[in-house]
Amino acid sequence: MTYVYPKNVETMKRAAKVIPCGVYGHLGPGEGCMIPSSAYPFFVSRAKGSEMWDVDGNHFIDYMCGYGPNVTGYCDEDVDRAALEQIKLGNCTTLPSHIMVDFAELLTSTVHKDWAFFAKNGGDVTSFAVMVSRYYTGKKKIIFVNNYYHGVAPWTQKPDTPGTLIDDCKHALYVDFNDVEGLKKVIAENKDDIACFISTPYMHGNFIDNVLPAEGYWQAVRKLCTENNIVLIVDDIRTGFRLSLEGSDTYFGFEADLICFCKALANGYNVSALCGKEFLRGAVSAIPYTGSYWMSAVPFAAGIANINKLKANNACEHFEKMGTRLNNGVMKTAKELGVDLRISGAPALFYWRINDELGNFLLHQEWIAECVKRGVFLTNHHNHFINLSLTPALVDKTIEICSEAMQVMVNNHPELYK
Amino acid sequence: MSAKAQAFVNFYAAIGTLEKFVELDPQAKEIAKSYNLTIRFDVGGGPDGLLIFKDGTVQAIPYDGRRVDIHLICPTPEKFNDVVDGKAMPLPVKGLFKTLKFMGSKTAPFSVLTDRMGALMRQKEFKDQAEKDLSTKLKFYAMVAGLAQVANHDPIAQYAMKRIVDGEISIEILGECAATLIKKDGQLTCVRQPSQKGRAFMQFTTLEIAAGVIDGKLDAMSCISDGSLITKGHMLMLDNVNKILNILPKYLS
Repeated sequence: MTYVYPKNVETMKRAAKVIPCGVYGHLGPGEGCMIPSSAYPFFVSRAKGSEMWDVDGNHFIDYMCGYGPNVTGYCDEDVDRAALEQIKLGNCTTLPSHIMVDFAELLTSTVHKDWAFFAKNGGDVTSFAVMVSRYYTGKKKIIFVNNYYHGVAPWTQKPDTPGTLIDDCKHALYVDFNDVEGLKKVIAENKDDIACFISTPYMHGNFIDNVLPAEGYWQAVRKLCTENNIVLIVDDIRTGFRLSLEGSDTYFGFEADLICFCKALANGYNVSALCGKEFLRGAVSAIPYTGSYWMSAVPFAAGIANINKLKANNACEHFEKMGTRLNNGVMKTAKELGVDLRISGAPALFYWRINDELGNFLLHQEWIAECVKRGVFLTNHHNHFINLSLTPALVDKTIEICSEAMQVMVNNHPELYK
Repeated sequence: MSAKAQAFVNFYAAIGTLEKFVELDPQAKEIAKSYNLTIRFDVGGGPDGLLIFKDGTVQAIPYDGRRVDIHLICPTPEKFNDVVDGKAMPLPVKGLFKTLKFMGSKTAPFSVLTDRMGALMRQKEFKDQAEKDLSTKLKFYAMVAGLAQVANHDPIAQYAMKRIVDGEISIEILGECAATLIKKDGQLTCVRQPSQKGRAFMQFTTLEIAAGVIDGKLDAMSCISDGSLITKGHMLMLDNVNKILNILPKYLS
């Protein structure tokens, strides 16, 4: 028996009347990544740990983790207790709670930076990082790595994006990931005009096999940035606290000037942070940048509890172990069935793709849809996430479901799989 | 808005949809049958294309050096766009009498065909379902052909076009009509035939849904959400096609 979604569809019809797209953005089907949309639920009823139940009562083991924020587990008792205790003491108050300082101290010592600046979303801090680099250097151009994603602000977009002006993009330069020679060329061609280089720690773009940094890549980038007075910004919003609690720059053996955190910072409580080195403190102080909820205390309390729990439980080791167990189990099935499964990225943030002759993702999308209809929530376009609550038993159940789904896909294509 | 892009849309998407009009509409086919003519539209800084009427079929292709019956010149894309809007006449440098007979007046066959096709695509009220369906199909083919031209010639759309990887994009109204966009050699080309090797797929489930989305009465994102517009395959290709689709209406209106 596979899942059906009558209440999800009914709720989506209501949503479409009062909310653009019903569910806009990356959590909804409107972006075309729930393929086919009939295989997917749209609304959750409740979630706990690594599991969620949709409004039809269907149960899922969830590997999207809210696209990252679920890092200790949905409704984690320790994190939620800290948040609830802070609610009783005050949240959005005239003066910030003293726990903001506690959080900043914990965060900076954890990720080896000199200061922390808090906001709400990832895009708040990537935008601020670029502003800081421009103010500090007095230069204007931004080097992006192709297939990047740093939020939805106009400076992150291309001129063909609705709502973006060509002028918003005129200071953008582009290089490929792992291409040191390309980076040297871009720097030489734009000498003295480049404010920053912004990149994720490794390439985890959508619909592409993820690419880890080549040996010596980040060290070469660091050297070029230092020599050319370019601020090195690491966007650790997706990978932060999953590869290493010390920041992904530390994990890959270099030091960023600015590093952006968000998703896994407070287990779903809304806070983001820009952390940086001493020499940029003055620039950060000089720029007017704030928001109504940026100093709310509840997310700070949640963040403190979250980071302490991740540390106490050697979280990144757990992510690596569970991700590897899952990858190995699914790859074993793929080999047995003769399916060309490609696994890329870090095990904590694995990306799967079934390779096909035409490069059209159809077999992959069919398999993922069969997984979802059987209770494993995956997407076909994006890396996945492991969280601390995921158990070996849930991983093994996932392997069982994914294997059954793969067998269904194979049976549907006797022309390909003899 | 680019006059050059508009001229390419006018030739390959607007006039070019005659290819399907004469195939789908018996009256149009009857008219086309009476003429075997090759007409060159030679637009300075714009399209240099052939419109070929042969045995009841029509084809719009780039000029390939062949002998033509009529050679029409427009000095600029703007002038050609005025011609299409009925505000100016092109300069015939070959086949003056054929030009006058074929397209020299409102009752000339070319004018009858293009006027009737244009009216069908614009009209909101229809005498019956068949006429409405024909209108939707023509608009569909004009949309897909227009997509390719806007992608190649609109300066903003070119950003999206360049990011589309090589291969075929299949666009269909399921069970009704299909066209293919082919990305190759840095250009997007429209073929009014089903795709053989699709990498990305956009499928309107019914003519009604296609008409609603093309006319702007239905939101494409909502249609994707409710499954009435199916998208699958290499979604980055479609993501960029959607960006071009956002620009297209200003050229087709």
